[in-house]
Amino acid sequence: MTDDKQNVVELELLRAQRSRLADRIRPPWWYLTGIGIGYALVFAFPFASRFLGVSIWPFVAAALAVAVPLQWGWTRTTGIKMGFRNLSYPGPGRPARYAVVIVSLGAIVTEHFLIDRGLTAAAVAVAALAVAAQVALQQALLRGMRQELQGGGGAA
Amino acid sequence: VTVKAKPDALIHPITRLSICGLLAAGADWVEFAALRDAAGISDSVLSKQSRVLEDAGYLEVRKGAVGRRPRTWFRLTPNGREAFQAHVAWLQQAARVRPEDAGDTAAPAPSAVPATNDRG
Repeated sequence: MTDDKQNVVELELLRAQRSRLADRIRPPWWYLTGIGIGYALVFAFPFASRFLGVSIWPFVAAALAVAVPLQWGWTRTTGIKMGFRNLSYPGPGRPARYAVVIVSLGAIVTEHFLIDRGLTAAAVAVAALAVAAQVALQQALLRGMRQELQGGGGAA
Repeated sequence: VTVKAKPDALIHPITRLSICGLLAAGADWVEFAALRDAAGISDSVLSKQSRVLEDAGYLEVRKGAVGRRPRTWFRLTPNGREAFQAHVAWLQQAARVRPEDAGDTAAPAPSAVPATNDRG
């Protein structure tokens, strides 16, 4: 095989290997369930605050108690630590990261607004929709991670 | 940021190229088994080649344990990432420019990279 063909083969091999690595980013059932429970706690805060007078800290602690073991289990299962991506980090998952923030803030503000006007059932519906949206967005984030790994993170 | 294409003899062997390529793909840390499976190599090959890369300062290794099971994590150092990107840029350049129609502007021939006996 000539050297230039050998180089093409090596680059193709790298792509195939990255695809195999990216395939590990598949959420097990407990991961998305845990994400749903975590966000349910977040979106339950406006109700607990209004009707039970609970402060935000028990909710922060409960959300962390779900998120930390979830992330640990996820890293252990996949064998991949992706590192923190902020909103300015470029990549395929960026729109989903923006959407996570917008849905979170939008849902909490809307819930407060509806609860203050006595529309509790509507607020519950908003919370449920927001949890479903966050689970869907998490899947979009994972798709973004897979695409990033397949694309080589700009490395090749 | 443009990467200067430059062959790297240490990364050139396919096994080390695979290890670096997987670690440069976007993950922060990759665990031993995940790297082994994705690269399609054996435990002993990964151990040996990762040690070579670690000694060269291209790879950072973190060892831990979950219960009694040892867990080893790898990531590229900034030097390793830079060397890999330069090497891949050179590979791409060499693959694009065919020797017969490249003339004097051809990329350095891959044969210029010192031969190693552990390709594959």
